[in-house]
Amino acid sequence: MKNEHDEAKLTAYALGELSEAERAEVEAQLASDPAAGREVEEIRKVAGILTEELKAEPAPKLTSQQRKAVKAQAAKPQRKLRIWIPLSAAASILIVVAFLSTLSKSRELGHQVASLQDEKLALEKDRDVMQVTDAEKIADVTKAEQFKAKIGRLNQPIDALPQPSKPARVLAYKFASKLSERASAIVRQRGMRKSNVLYADGHVVGSGEWLERLPGDSNEAFRRRREEWNREAYDHIVDNPFRSVADHPLSTFSIDVDTASYANIRRLLNQGTLPPKGAVRIEEMINYFSYDYAGPKKGDKHPFAAHAAVAGCPWNARHRLVRVAIKGREIAPEKRPSSNFVFLLDVSGSMRPANKLPLVKRAMKMLVERLGENDRIAITVYAGAAGLVLDSTTCDERQKILSALERLRAGGSTAGAAGIKLAYQVAAKNFIKGGVNRVILCTDGDFNVGITNQSELVRMIEGKAKTGVFLSVLGFGMGNYQDSRLEKLADKGNGNYAYIDTIKEARKVLVTQMSGTLITIAKDVKIQIEFNPTRVAAYRLIGYENRILAKEDFKDDKKDAGEIGAGHTVTALYEVVPAGEKVETPAVAPLKYQTPARPTEAADSKEMLTLKLRYKRPDGDKSTLMEYPVADAGGRFDKASADFRFATAVASFGMILRDSKYKGTYTLDAVIELAQSSKGKDKEGYRAEFIQLVKTAKAIGKK
Amino acid sequence: MKTEKSGVDAGWMQRVMERYEGPLLRYAAKVLGGDLELGRDVVQETFLRLWRSDRAGLGDHLPEWLFRVCRNRAIDVRRKERRMTRLNEQAEQTRPSPALSPSAVALKREAAGRAAKALTTLPVNQQEVLRLKFQNGFTYRQIAGITGHSVTNVGFLIHTGIRTIRKQFKTLGLISGA
Repeated sequence: MKNEHDEAKLTAYALGELSEAERAEVEAQLASDPAAGREVEEIRKVAGILTEELKAEPAPKLTSQQRKAVKAQAAKPQRKLRIWIPLSAAASILIVVAFLSTLSKSRELGHQVASLQDEKLALEKDRDVMQVTDAEKIADVTKAEQFKAKIGRLNQPIDALPQPSKPARVLAYKFASKLSERASAIVRQRGMRKSNVLYADGHVVGSGEWLERLPGDSNEAFRRRREEWNREAYDHIVDNPFRSVADHPLSTFSIDVDTASYANIRRLLNQGTLPPKGAVRIEEMINYFSYDYAGPKKGDKHPFAAHAAVAGCPWNARHRLVRVAIKGREIAPEKRPSSNFVFLLDVSGSMRPANKLPLVKRAMKMLVERLGENDRIAITVYAGAAGLVLDSTTCDERQKILSALERLRAGGSTAGAAGIKLAYQVAAKNFIKGGVNRVILCTDGDFNVGITNQSELVRMIEGKAKTGVFLSVLGFGMGNYQDSRLEKLADKGNGNYAYIDTIKEARKVLVTQMSGTLITIAKDVKIQIEFNPTRVAAYRLIGYENRILAKEDFKDDKKDAGEIGAGHTVTALYEVVPAGEKVETPAVAPLKYQTPARPTEAADSKEMLTLKLRYKRPDGDKSTLMEYPVADAGGRFDKASADFRFATAVASFGMILRDSKYKGTYTLDAVIELAQSSKGKDKEGYRAEFIQLVKTAKAIGKK
Repeated sequence: MKTEKSGVDAGWMQRVMERYEGPLLRYAAKVLGGDLELGRDVVQETFLRLWRSDRAGLGDHLPEWLFRVCRNRAIDVRRKERRMTRLNEQAEQTRPSPALSPSAVALKREAAGRAAKALTTLPVNQQEVLRLKFQNGFTYRQIAGITGHSVTNVGFLIHTGIRTIRKQFKTLGLISGA
């Protein structure tokens, strides 16, 4: 019986990689083992085919400019004086920035900082490159305390700049994430966009750095480095800790029906890697699945129903679990309000793979087939191609729409003038009063829709949402995937965010759940729970870390929150420490000027908590309040409904993936067992898929 | 300050570039997941570094040096581009190659069918090592020098890769089964 080591040795022998002595050894073996001899033959044959075909593969070339640049260096008499900073150092966090007409002061912050004096900076995206080609200045700058940069070509788009013939330094800067009050005021007053301000009136608002641009650098590569800037990593999430009811009697958060995190985790696990902790959003995992909650009864004045159930906690015998469940009213397909959809598609080169633009096309075809003559679809694109591909067309002209879809091709760079503004224009032009008006953005995250400035983009989207045109964001493909940024956009656009990786998921998001994904029945939905201190010592909201609201925000109608679509369910889980049990919340010293609040009479009741919700109608401005007291009947966990138990399995899987300190005694095996016992009918097979994923995670973890 | 005879060295540089430009680009593009644009940046940088290095001392090790520098640079660039998924090196090396980028699709169309196709089914690190061996003609030892794997590990990766491809070729009838 051959072991791996011997087999590898045989291969090495076949390829002529062994030493004299080892070769002799193997040859001796071969003499008595004809099967091994045949293997050697095979290996050599395979090697032959590989060599022949691979060597015949075409070999690409450098651009002639690049070659010239290298030769130019070689032609010079060599000096040991280094005049370049290696690209790896400079290129990592740079953005090409707007520059100013006069630079007077600079300050070292570890990076170079330029000061702003000119107020007439009407700088737009792309007109923000300045090149300094003086080699001596560069040498100064590398140690610089002070520099005088040459005011070269201001307000030039990258493409208009000639390729430098000598190494050029371009000033790039990074702006501070929080502008000081004063700086913000100045920006507001002068109407300058935040991203263009570096240093305003004595306040540093950003720091700059020199970006290397070699003579061979193509505009494309350079632009790409600049765009790297806008890419954010996954946000760092800290688990919600236990809060004592004495100090924090109210828990307030915005509901969330996005499901992208689960799809993303699924993709990563199926690829064989554990997801990074920041990618695990437990509320999105729980809400990925459908649950059989009761919807609002006929004639109910509220568009959704809310319930709460209490049971034991499987990972900590002393604790209880509270599950809040919301179910939106179903809308029968015939009764669907008319839709005005504008698809905004990313058709940049990076969208070419099968799991991106082609999948978008397939998904949209499925959707179009479900829509009727009262619905309209328009298609706009960004990146390279012209803006409006299909003007708003009613869906009885199916062929026209499908042909337009078919013609879409990926290609071109990601910079685009047309894009999101155009999409909203088209949506506004074809607005359906009382209907569903929505821009649906499909992208792989390489997101350059004509406004690179994140806050400007967000402001525009928020503004449009107020006019009744909402935004949904669908993420496709991987690699360029940028999670938190796209989610924020959907959030501000009063829409939702989903991640589509397969045609099955596309069907789920765009077709099966279409009435949910795309039709909002209530917006700015907030939950506030008041816990009864005589019943509850402390509580912990599982997930929703990004959705926590201040208690004042509950009543504040100006504060944004999540949306519920028709037929959607929303689930939230609290882990609760009953009164009398030990709690590990950080201790707060007793107050000097106040005594702790005393329980009221209401606290004497059997109520454990009061569940309050506020929501607005899709076209409304004022919120409506719903209020439900909830008592703990003392039920055990294994007696809870299958939906409750399954949601708990998903939550604990999330906690284990995040390696949360609150996961208690639970293990992946326990999750699998719990999920299997609560699988229920599982018509669409998503729960079975979940169980498979947990097993996969277990296998990966073992490696 | 040394001043080299610029004429001779310019000629040498030219020859080196002509000889290694293609193979390095092919290699770099693969490491970068098919991105030819980025690959060009990386290869240009590699040549510039060659110029700045102690060229005379390289001698026979020139190809190995070029590929190693190119690889390290490409990995740095790739890491920055991949800040999203943050896979650790280990996992990254063993997972199957991701969806191809547009330039990779183009390259793929041009490449001969079966070998290239077979390779794409292998984990990324096996692909790399097999290409270094069969496309670029390096020995196990040189490949170890380029990639940082141990010689034994290189042998193992090549062995595993060939075993997988053997099976595929057998199914395709390219080699007679045993």
